[in-house]
Amino acid sequence: MELLPQALMDGILLGGIYITIAIAFSLTYGVMHIIDFAVGEWIMFGAFAGFYLNKWTGLDPFLLLPVVFVIFGLIGCLIQPVIHRVLSGSKGNPLLMGLVFTFGLGLMFQGLAMTVFGFYSNSTPSMFSEGSFFFEKFGFSLTISTVRLAGLIYALAITMALHYLLKKTNFGLGVRALALNKDSAGLMGVNGKRTGALVYGLYVGVTAMTGVLIGCILSVSAGMGPQYTIFAFFVVVLAGMGYLAGVPWAALLLGMVQSIFLIYFDPGHTLLAVFAILYTILLISPKGLFGRGV
Amino acid sequence: MKDKIIRWGLPVLFVLIAMPAVIHDTFFLRVVTEAVMWIGLAIAFDVLAGYTGYLNFGHGAFFGLGAYTTALLMMKAGWPFALALPMGGVMAAVAALIAGFPTLRLKGAYFAIATWALSRAVQQLALIMDITGGPDGMRLPPFLNPQFFYYLMLAIVAATFALLWYLLEHSPFGLKLKAIREDEQGAMALGLNPTKLKMQAFILSAVPTGILGGVYAYWITFIDPASTLGDLISDQALVMVVFGGMGTLIGPVIGAILIFAFKTLFWAYLSDFQLLYLIILGAVIALSVVFMPNGLWGTLGGFKKKKRDHENKLETSLEARLQKNEGE
Repeated sequence: MELLPQALMDGILLGGIYITIAIAFSLTYGVMHIIDFAVGEWIMFGAFAGFYLNKWTGLDPFLLLPVVFVIFGLIGCLIQPVIHRVLSGSKGNPLLMGLVFTFGLGLMFQGLAMTVFGFYSNSTPSMFSEGSFFFEKFGFSLTISTVRLAGLIYALAITMALHYLLKKTNFGLGVRALALNKDSAGLMGVNGKRTGALVYGLYVGVTAMTGVLIGCILSVSAGMGPQYTIFAFFVVVLAGMGYLAGVPWAALLLGMVQSIFLIYFDPGHTLLAVFAILYTILLISPKGLFGRGV
Repeated sequence: MKDKIIRWGLPVLFVLIAMPAVIHDTFFLRVVTEAVMWIGLAIAFDVLAGYTGYLNFGHGAFFGLGAYTTALLMMKAGWPFALALPMGGVMAAVAALIAGFPTLRLKGAYFAIATWALSRAVQQLALIMDITGGPDGMRLPPFLNPQFFYYLMLAIVAATFALLWYLLEHSPFGLKLKAIREDEQGAMALGLNPTKLKMQAFILSAVPTGILGGVYAYWITFIDPASTLGDLISDQALVMVVFGGMGTLIGPVIGAILIFAFKTLFWAYLSDFQLLYLIILGAVIALSVVFMPNGLWGTLGGFKKKKRDHENKLETSLEARLQKNEGE
């Protein structure tokens, strides 16, 4: 029991990171109606970008976040038209094809990363890496590493920024309109193509930034992608697909599960537990924990 | 259509049956045996992906479940192969029931995610359990008779093909599945029960996959989580089906033969660049989706049809002009 507060704290700190991935992911699903199977690979590429930029420039990864965001945002904006083309095709089953396309993309990225970066596991050093806060009260001791705390603060900042963007700006209004009804939004003057590209760029940028942080907090390796893809799915399905308000709770739950398994059980069983929870939720409440999904 | 399959299918089957009598090269027989296995895996994958419109990213898990069930029953329970093999199919069907029950009621994306997560979970389960030998895998008693495995594989795949051909192309079942693929709500409005039909399609896809896994285990005599439960099996089946042509039975066969031939050549000559294979698989998937959404077979068939339509149009316009001339 002594470790329980520590496990919960770690879970909250870790879960914070997943919030940003899942919100951006959920947003893309809302607008484009596709599930991006390459989400974990974007995290991996972001982590490597942070690792190498840090190596070359010597700057702190937290300072490099805007650079990574801009680079990956541009890449996302450039890739989205291809996905749009697949999705708006008249032949076959466009939604299915979109899934297949991102899956192929993910496979390609994975092979590419393994070829270029090799199989080594690295970690990006940061100015926050060393320090930690230590509390001791009521017989419980609690260690909070600074880098994880910084990660949580980053996640909160991104969440607030996305919330502002969606609820207070014209762009956000367009995005929400597109999510509700594509055709009507188009008739009301929302440029679906451009907004879609921007949202996808935003999503890729945010995901890659989060990747940089995961590189600082956990590790960077070419094979890390699929695990995070499953985590992103887990959070989004648990929250209810397309229901943004549920994302933080689901992400925190994932963080807890992961940290509890790390401390009390074998970390190798995490994926099994994640699947078991996902399965149970789908069985009991297919529309997510809150019953508000699509 | 029926004449066509008999005209083309029977000679091909005859050639395949007669082949081992003519060619005695063991390596060649081995390659063909595996190619036949992949044809079976690809057409089983297509039942769900092409005909029903649901992507099963856990296809490899059913293959591995069949392989492990057969291996475990033979090694730990001492069952004969002939009894253990069908159990592989039964196990795959049970897994399909369990996995499909909550997910098939939902939209396609949920199913794709859930099956993918399932395959990862099954792989991890095989890695940590004692009975499966963990990462070291399992060894089966060697039974060195390449011809036996060739004929067994061929019989299973040919039977699967015939069954699927009948069910999907010649019975209402195939039409019902296509109705679900095109418009699920519309299908429901017509009085179909999509969840039940999808479940049946899922089991129809899982059982041959599990049985092929069982044959594979006894044939290769060594199975481990990486080779039988890994993603590569699902990935390759997906490539074959997408490249060959979804929603047809001939397309996946062509895709399976071409991709498998490519794979064999690649591993034979370029095995130093193993990772390149993953990139090529991904690129083939992505490019065929963008440029050839109907796959090789669908695109070629489309050209043929277009040409035929064009010729027909030309003919009718010519006839019309002739008649006009005659009238004058």
